[in-house]
Amino acid sequence: MSRIKATIRFLHARLHPDQIAREVEAELRFHIEMRTATNVESGMTPDEAQLAARQSFGDFHRFKTECCEISRNLSFDPIPLKMGLHIALAAFAGAVALWAVNVPHHSFVGLFRQLVAITILTYLFVFVRRARSRQRLAGDHMRDIFIAEREKPRKNEFFVSDGREARHVNIASHDEEGLTPVERMFKSK
Amino acid sequence: MGKSKAGLLQGTLDMLILKALSLGALHGYGIGQRIAQISDDALKIEEGSLYPGLYRLERRGWIDSEWDVSDNNQRAKFYKLTRTGRKQLILEEQNWERLAGATMKALRAS
Repeated sequence: MSRIKATIRFLHARLHPDQIAREVEAELRFHIEMRTATNVESGMTPDEAQLAARQSFGDFHRFKTECCEISRNLSFDPIPLKMGLHIALAAFAGAVALWAVNVPHHSFVGLFRQLVAITILTYLFVFVRRARSRQRLAGDHMRDIFIAEREKPRKNEFFVSDGREARHVNIASHDEEGLTPVERMFKSK
Repeated sequence: MGKSKAGLLQGTLDMLILKALSLGALHGYGIGQRIAQISDDALKIEEGSLYPGLYRLERRGWIDSEWDVSDNNQRAKFYKLTRTGRKQLILEEQNWERLAGATMKALRAS
């Protein structure tokens, strides 16, 4: 499947989740109907045939949910798509800035307005870029800190972070060698 | 003595689906039937588990699907192998042969 086709399918599944669910359900029901018919042909009563078909199929709702979930996920890494969106936004911001500079100004107030518009646009662009790169760089570490901070430290516990992992440490505890976390830190240094 | 059905190893279902579709387009039920047929009814598959597998393979671009009318005049979703899927099947077969050969060698070692 090409990336364009995959994106169209992804958007379709996102925009029309009910239709996707209906299609998945119809497909799974077709399977059970076919199995029921085969069971009837092999000599079962219709009720027995349907029960046996449902049993051999397994958990209908679980498989339906799984199929819907898979349809709602993109099949490729969305980062290039996001980068493209950022470039488009940056180009738009640049175009607006150029337009603001090129609009004829007849007064100092007009010129000032244009400068303010350019400053705000530049600030917004830089702010968004920095926020996103910070978010990416921090990654799991930020999540760890967030989780650790939510938990209330107990007696003798301190919040520590070594840049990769954040946790609460009991400074009165001893490890296998009988060292406290502080003694261990000095020893390792 | 009756034949005992073997459970599937993780990842082999994908290969079996690709193999079943290499012989022509089929709906989900037909794929299950064909797997049973080509394995001489020796492999045990929970029939519903075929579908998440089919959706995953379609998402990877190895198979494609479209709604059509089945032999009994019912609307059904038919799957077919794509060119990428055909290449993938060759790779999977080669990997499987290598793995099976190595396992057999290990088991026969005294």
